[in-house]
Amino acid sequence: MPLSSYVVTDDLTVLLGLSAAALFLLQNLYKPQPLIHPILLGRQSDVAPVRNPRESAVYRNYSTSAMGRLPLRPAAGIQTVLDLVRADVDSPRTLWSTKITNTQLLARVKACASGIDKLGKFQAGESKVLFLLNDGLDFLIADLAFAAKSITTMTISSPELLAKVLDNHPPSAIITDVVFLPHIVEQIYDIDQHHHTTVIVVGDPGSVGAKLAKEMDLLKFSDIEKEGASDPVDLSPPTDVNHVFTIAFSKTPSGTGFQAVQFTQQNLTAGVAATRSLLPVSSPFTPLDTIVSAFSLSTPYGRTIAYTAVYEGTCLATLNSAQIFTGNEGVRLDAPGALEDINSSSTFPIPSPTILFVKPEHVISLTSSILNASSSGSWLSGWGWRHKVAHAIEGFITKESLWDRFVFDAARVKVLGEGAGTLRALIATGGYTPAETLTPARIAFSIPYVNAVSSDLACGPLFASYPHDLQIHPSSEEGGEFENIAHVGAPTISLEVKLVSVDDVAIEEGKDPIGEVYVRGPPAGTLLGENNQKGENWLPTGYRGKVQPNGCFKVVPQNK
Amino acid sequence: MAFSVGNPVNTALMLYIIYRVNSILFPPVKPPTAIPHDFRDGYSWMPKSHPPTMLYKAATFALLRFIALTTYTPKTLAPFNGVNGQRILLAINGVVFDVSRGRNFYGPEGMYANFAGRDASRGMAKQSFDEEMLTDIDRPLDKLQDLTPSEIENMNGWIDHFSSKYTVCGRLVNEDEV
Repeated sequence: MPLSSYVVTDDLTVLLGLSAAALFLLQNLYKPQPLIHPILLGRQSDVAPVRNPRESAVYRNYSTSAMGRLPLRPAAGIQTVLDLVRADVDSPRTLWSTKITNTQLLARVKACASGIDKLGKFQAGESKVLFLLNDGLDFLIADLAFAAKSITTMTISSPELLAKVLDNHPPSAIITDVVFLPHIVEQIYDIDQHHHTTVIVVGDPGSVGAKLAKEMDLLKFSDIEKEGASDPVDLSPPTDVNHVFTIAFSKTPSGTGFQAVQFTQQNLTAGVAATRSLLPVSSPFTPLDTIVSAFSLSTPYGRTIAYTAVYEGTCLATLNSAQIFTGNEGVRLDAPGALEDINSSSTFPIPSPTILFVKPEHVISLTSSILNASSSGSWLSGWGWRHKVAHAIEGFITKESLWDRFVFDAARVKVLGEGAGTLRALIATGGYTPAETLTPARIAFSIPYVNAVSSDLACGPLFASYPHDLQIHPSSEEGGEFENIAHVGAPTISLEVKLVSVDDVAIEEGKDPIGEVYVRGPPAGTLLGENNQKGENWLPTGYRGKVQPNGCFKVVPQNK
Repeated sequence: MAFSVGNPVNTALMLYIIYRVNSILFPPVKPPTAIPHDFRDGYSWMPKSHPPTMLYKAATFALLRFIALTTYTPKTLAPFNGVNGQRILLAINGVVFDVSRGRNFYGPEGMYANFAGRDASRGMAKQSFDEEMLTDIDRPLDKLQDLTPSEIENMNGWIDHFSSKYTVCGRLVNEDEV
């Protein structure tokens, strides 16, 4: 039979042909567009052309090199820490439990500074005050007031360091919460310092306080503020930006002893500039945001986050795990604990959180809760997951897709409460997020997710991944210490990073450089007791790092 | 107009439609096992190699620096304005940069041709390309003493920019300092 009798076309053929063509076009034209062009993800840090022997080249963020200089401040004109409280942005917002505007905040700071003056116990540039306060508005006000008077504040990252710090660096005064007061008193009596140290208490010490006041110099913070409110000091002569504004004591990365890092006001403004750059340029921080942070104000990173919130005019609250000085054991961040911790922010009268600065443990536990809730909640969840993963492979993710509405939104509300819909960015700082939780986390939240690393040596993050980066790299066969960790992106905009003690031969062969991470830049502080006459200013962070060819780093703590 | 499997064209089209609908409704979810090395091959790509870096060998650099750094005076720098196809040089704060690659900007018809072969420090600091920013070749170099700190910062920013974009090839001093 001739071929033509096989190729019989009729109306059905036309119909099917049109449908086939339509489906072909549909699938090819409606491919999801990646949120960021992949070519930009291939070169995320700028590499210096020359390197010293046994060291890698110096890496900077790619966008910094376009600007040419490491930014020192979030905007021109922000010289000191007090400038971060912008008098021209005056909408009220809630900081922890208090609704306050910038003008009111500055008024309280001035009153407090004037009260401190009236006490007459402190000398600008010489006295040091130890902060043993839990996070709250009083911490900020006291911090700003002492900064205005050029009195250095000291913070410790854990109550275990208290004894050593009191021994080696006795402060002129200690400011603390009522809750922690008994512990302080014990320590001070132990080292026989109670005649030389003033103790300022935030809150009402009650009868215990009255008894103690007979034996030692005990003052109430609210009294100081009230005293000073009658004639608030004028803050116009600005303090020196290179004056050491705070000393942060923390455990050394190796776990033995403690390190003391000095920060100047310029370090903090540079840190705020770096923290602001964590969010994409198309959706930066706005006064409508609410930031919830898991990092205590007693650490440089937590402090920087708080000052970024103050600068941007957002609402702010910290989680229970950030409360260090309670006299109890710290909050454990295992699976149920992490979830409870995140929901502890609901005790504050803040609007529902839009930006979360949390640790990888929180992310892991939230992700698994959301995915469990979604799979038990809807029979479409497997199908929705499949579609979202397919889009993520192409580089696209959104919170407003059909699948979110049917499957994932309900799960998020179940886990995070009614405010789950407002969440718009998640910044996980810690550096040890396992690679296999990356895709589930990105899909469970479907919001810009930043993987970052911080250190007690610098204000603000050291490394941060690009928020729209959805790349998934299969693990290679080599294995090694960096194998199952998600990458943390390029150095932040204010820092330079290099790896030390690298294998020169391996690098010349083209392998990824692996070595100890050293940083330098405006947000990095200086170790107490060291002078910078060497000129190089590189600080060892206590991390080991590996650089990928696209400029992203993977870091692990050095002594694990 | 019924569908019959015996009709090959219709069957083929129907199979194609079923295949397409299947890939729309149930998209493939396996991420690629081999990492693509070009952005056109896939979203999760990684460049094949690191950007090249050179190992600093102190002796080589000292030699290079000795050969490559020349001392210029305002009069010896001035001819290097690219007019007769020669190199284009400009100086900021005593550092001479070879900006021949930026002929479009600094060459004879460029927007910033004023700066070619001259000391551009004041212009860089004050962000201006006017003739007034330039000091006459016969006069001593501009001491830049009346610049405000923010202008000096601006000028240093330009020095960083030029250092990364162009090569340093000398220093600029007064006639009597050679």
